[in-house]
Amino acid sequence: MNRSRIAAIVLKNWFSFRRDFFRIFDIFWWPTFMLFVWGLLSIYLTKTSVNSPNFVTILLGGVILWNTFDHATRDVSRTFVEEVWDKNLANFFSTPLTLTEYLVGILAIAIVKIIVGALFMLMLARLFYAFDPMALSWFLIVGFVSLVLTGWLISIVIQAIILRYGHTVEVFIWAVAILLQPFSCVFYPLETLPGWAQRIALVLPTTYIFENMRLMIFSGSVRVDQIVLSYALNLFYGVCAVVFFYRTFRVAKDKGLLVKYV
Amino acid sequence: MEILSVQSLTKSFGAFVAVDNISFSVAEGEIVGLLGPNGAGKTTTIFMLLDLISPTKGEIRVFDKSYKEASEYIHQHLNYSSTYVELPPRLTVWENLLVMGFMYQVDNKEARIRELAEKFGVTPFINWQYQKLSAGQKTRVSLCKAFLNEPKLLLLDEPTASLDPDIAQFVRKEILASQKRGMTVLITSHNMTEVEEMCDRVLFINHGKIIAEDTPDGLANRVRKSRVHFMMKDGQKRTLSFAKKAGFSAIAENRFVTIDIDEQDIAYLLASLADLGVSYSEITIDKPTLEEFFIEASAGRSL
Repeated sequence: MNRSRIAAIVLKNWFSFRRDFFRIFDIFWWPTFMLFVWGLLSIYLTKTSVNSPNFVTILLGGVILWNTFDHATRDVSRTFVEEVWDKNLANFFSTPLTLTEYLVGILAIAIVKIIVGALFMLMLARLFYAFDPMALSWFLIVGFVSLVLTGWLISIVIQAIILRYGHTVEVFIWAVAILLQPFSCVFYPLETLPGWAQRIALVLPTTYIFENMRLMIFSGSVRVDQIVLSYALNLFYGVCAVVFFYRTFRVAKDKGLLVKYV
Repeated sequence: MEILSVQSLTKSFGAFVAVDNISFSVAEGEIVGLLGPNGAGKTTTIFMLLDLISPTKGEIRVFDKSYKEASEYIHQHLNYSSTYVELPPRLTVWENLLVMGFMYQVDNKEARIRELAEKFGVTPFINWQYQKLSAGQKTRVSLCKAFLNEPKLLLLDEPTASLDPDIAQFVRKEILASQKRGMTVLITSHNMTEVEEMCDRVLFINHGKIIAEDTPDGLANRVRKSRVHFMMKDGQKRTLSFAKKAGFSAIAENRFVTIDIDEQDIAYLLASLADLGVSYSEITIDKPTLEEFFIEASAGRSL
């Protein structure tokens, strides 16, 4: 892997990003909006419930972690689709750039944006709702990393699908997180779901993170086996996603799709 | 030494065969033209040479290496410019070239970019966003990008399209100067004068097949012989008689005589007519052109 070429990817995206008001807006607007809505709801529930658990921490913890996952899914896919919009794939892949360097480059940019977005959310939550991140202790980091990994592997699959089928499937970028949210048990326990939905939830790495977030808030401990399972699922799906992406890239070269948009 | 070698290269998209079993090679320091009508398979061939499209069959070796064994090495010493390929529109010219400088690990990137920008007349708009450039300005930027890594092999797809004549002439000179420095160039162009001026050899491709390969003059001479027109003052009959004896095709119309002749025989013809005391007030020599070959070959006439 070559650092100069990875730097080229980072630099290109930085130049693009700093001129795109809506992408800068996107980092700060949605976290603010979601915190506003869910924060107020959690305050209302806390006030109206007798002997209620800490709704603020549960809901805002869910919102912050979910937003992290959502951004991880969208940012990387959007960076890729921008190369398609910019008709830039042919420019990049006619240089010595390897596919792995390309992926590392866009993930490097994504991690910075995700960290900035998450810190901003934590700061707002602290400021307006007295949210205490320490209630999640070390789990905040473990959960954050697992969700980012899940988001990235999904985005790698989305990129492969966009590469293969073009602009028409761009809707996946925005839809996947929303489709997965009901099964990930972000705001309610797994038992709340009907049986068939529970079976889907159990194969999602995200479910174990949100389940254990609540466990951490209620009891101060987590099910380590479930955290390990979440990471194991990420590893398994991650390998599948990368293999799928590389194979799709090969198919794209066979079908001339890399130069379709030049 | 062969810089590029293509063997039995074929590309099919479903039932459509875009490139059909072509083979050719390009030697170090050579400038080779890839000509053909629209849809002939030139761009698909270029994209296969860049490894952006995988061949259905056949082998490509660049610098005596295949992409499977040395993709990074090949791409590091190769570059291309195309009128039809865009750079990211929201980035400025400088930013685009800087990104490419990192991509090719160019030493002293900023100095190199400034040098090329000055050379290709890009400096006045180097801080403009790419999307705000005219077609000609974009072509110049694309050429800066192509020369950024001082490639050993340069693939140029219509390098002077949309350029003003003075800039186009400069670009041609620059390509010829690069050839002197050892650069090898494969070029597609619809400007036949440009191809005649620059190319050592031309591959003519139509319906995915190479149908002719020769020097620009060699291809032009396949269409017809040179045509010498005389406006006669004296000796029209002697001229026609001489032409008949020498085996040249000649026709007379009023005071004009036209003789079809191989280019190397023109000197002999003129000397012989002088010996015969023939006098003429005007002479024009109409040599066959590559453009005529292009038109005939594109129409599918056998040459």
